[in-house]
Amino acid sequence: MKMETLRRETGDGLKLDPRTKLLLMLTISVFVLGSAGGGIMVWVRPVLSVISFALLLCDRRIAAAVLYGAAYSICYAAWWFLLPLVTGMLNFVILTVCSLFCRFLPGFMTGYYLVRSTTVSEFTAGMRRMHISDKIVIPLSVMFRFFPTVAEESRFVQDAMRMRGIRLGSRKSSRILEYRVIPVMTCAVKIGDELSAAALTRGLGAPVRRTNLCEIGFRAQDIAVIAVCLSAALCFLLQQTGQI
Amino acid sequence: MSTNLHNSKTLTGKDLINIGIYTAIYFVIMMLVGWLGFMPVFIPLLAVVVPLLGGIPFMLFLTKVKKFGMVTIIGILIGIIMLLTGMGYWTILTGAVFGLLTELVLKSGSYQSQSKSVLANGLFSMWVFGNFIPFFVGREAYLADLTQRFGAGYSSALAGYMPYWILPVLLVLSFIFGILGGLLGRGICKKHFERAGIV
Repeated sequence: MKMETLRRETGDGLKLDPRTKLLLMLTISVFVLGSAGGGIMVWVRPVLSVISFALLLCDRRIAAAVLYGAAYSICYAAWWFLLPLVTGMLNFVILTVCSLFCRFLPGFMTGYYLVRSTTVSEFTAGMRRMHISDKIVIPLSVMFRFFPTVAEESRFVQDAMRMRGIRLGSRKSSRILEYRVIPVMTCAVKIGDELSAAALTRGLGAPVRRTNLCEIGFRAQDIAVIAVCLSAALCFLLQQTGQI
Repeated sequence: MSTNLHNSKTLTGKDLINIGIYTAIYFVIMMLVGWLGFMPVFIPLLAVVVPLLGGIPFMLFLTKVKKFGMVTIIGILIGIIMLLTGMGYWTILTGAVFGLLTELVLKSGSYQSQSKSVLANGLFSMWVFGNFIPFFVGREAYLADLTQRFGAGYSSALAGYMPYWILPVLLVLSFIFGILGGLLGRGICKKHFERAGIV
C-alpha cells in the first residue's frame, strides 16, 4: 500500500488548506469540466487550469506537472491555430481530442493533486470545520483513501492476467469481467476490512468526539486561490446577466 | 464479517467505513464503462450498462446493509462524485431520492429478503437517470454547449439518439437492467465471493 495519503506533511512547499482545495476542485469541475458559461469564461478556463499546474509544481510533482502542462498547451494551441486550417474528418478528430483534453485534464490533475497532497486527517479536520455530519465525512474520507488502493490493486491484477493472456482484444476478452473486475473487488473488500479494523482500533467508532492534531487554517496562499475561484464565479454571474 | 456485534439502530463507524469502500468500488466500475460515452451511440446505452455492472458491487454491498440510512448515503455520495467529475448536479437529487426508495424496499424485507435486494438494485440504478436530465431540462443550451465542445457532428448525432420520448424509456430500461444486474450480482456473489469468504 502506498503511504502517500497517510504521510504527514513536513511543512515545506506551499501548503493549502483542505477547504481551499475543495473549493478549487469544485470551481474547476463546474467551469472547466462542466464548461458553464461562454464569452469571457473562455478566458477564465485557461487561468484556472494554470493554477492546478502551479499547485502540482509546488507540491514537487514535477513529472506530472510537466506532462500536464505540455499536453494542455499542445491541445490548446491546436484548438486555436490548427483547427481553422483543416476541414472534414480531421477537423472533427482534432476538435474532439483537444476539447476532451482541455476539459478533462485540469479536473483530473486537480483531483490528483487533491488526493496526493492531502492526508486523511487534514481532510477530516477540514470537513469538521465546515460542520459536515460524520455520516458523510467518514465515508468520503475512506473513499479518498481508497481510490489509490483500488487503482493499484487493479494494476497488479492486470499484470497477472496479462501473463495468462487475458486482456482486451485477445481471444479470452469475453472473460474480462470474471478475471479482472472480480479479483479487484475481492482484493478491495479484503483491504477494506483490514482498513476498517485499523480505523476502529484507533477509535473511529467510539462514541466521543475525536480530536485532531492537524493544524489547518487559511493563509496568504489560500486567500489568493480563493480570490481566483470567487472571481471566476463572479465573471460567470456577470456574463450570465449580460454585464460583460 | 458475518458477526455483527453492534445491534443498535444507529450507524456505527464500521458501517460508515463500509459505505466509503463500496462507493469507491462502485465508482471505479462506473469509470470503466463511462469512457464509452465518448461515442454518441453509447450515451443512451449507459442506462443499460451501468445498472448491469453496478449490480455486482451493489449486491455485495447489500450483504453488509442491516441498518436504515446506508443506501441513501451511498446515493448522495455518488451524486457528489458525479458533481465533482463534471456530470452535473441532478444526480445528487436522483441519488438521494432513489436511494431512499431503495432503503424503504429493503426495510420492508427487514434487510433479509433476497428477491427484494434484486428489486433494490433495480430501484437504486435509476439514479443514472440524473445524468440524462440535462438533455431534457434546458436542452437547447446543453446541445449548443456540446456543439462548442465536440463539434456539430457529435451534438447532432447525440440529439438524434436522445429525442424527448426516450426519457421515460431510459428510466424504465435502467430499472429493468438494474434487476438483471441484481440477478447477475447475486449469481457472482454466490459463485465467487462466498467461496472467497468475503460475504
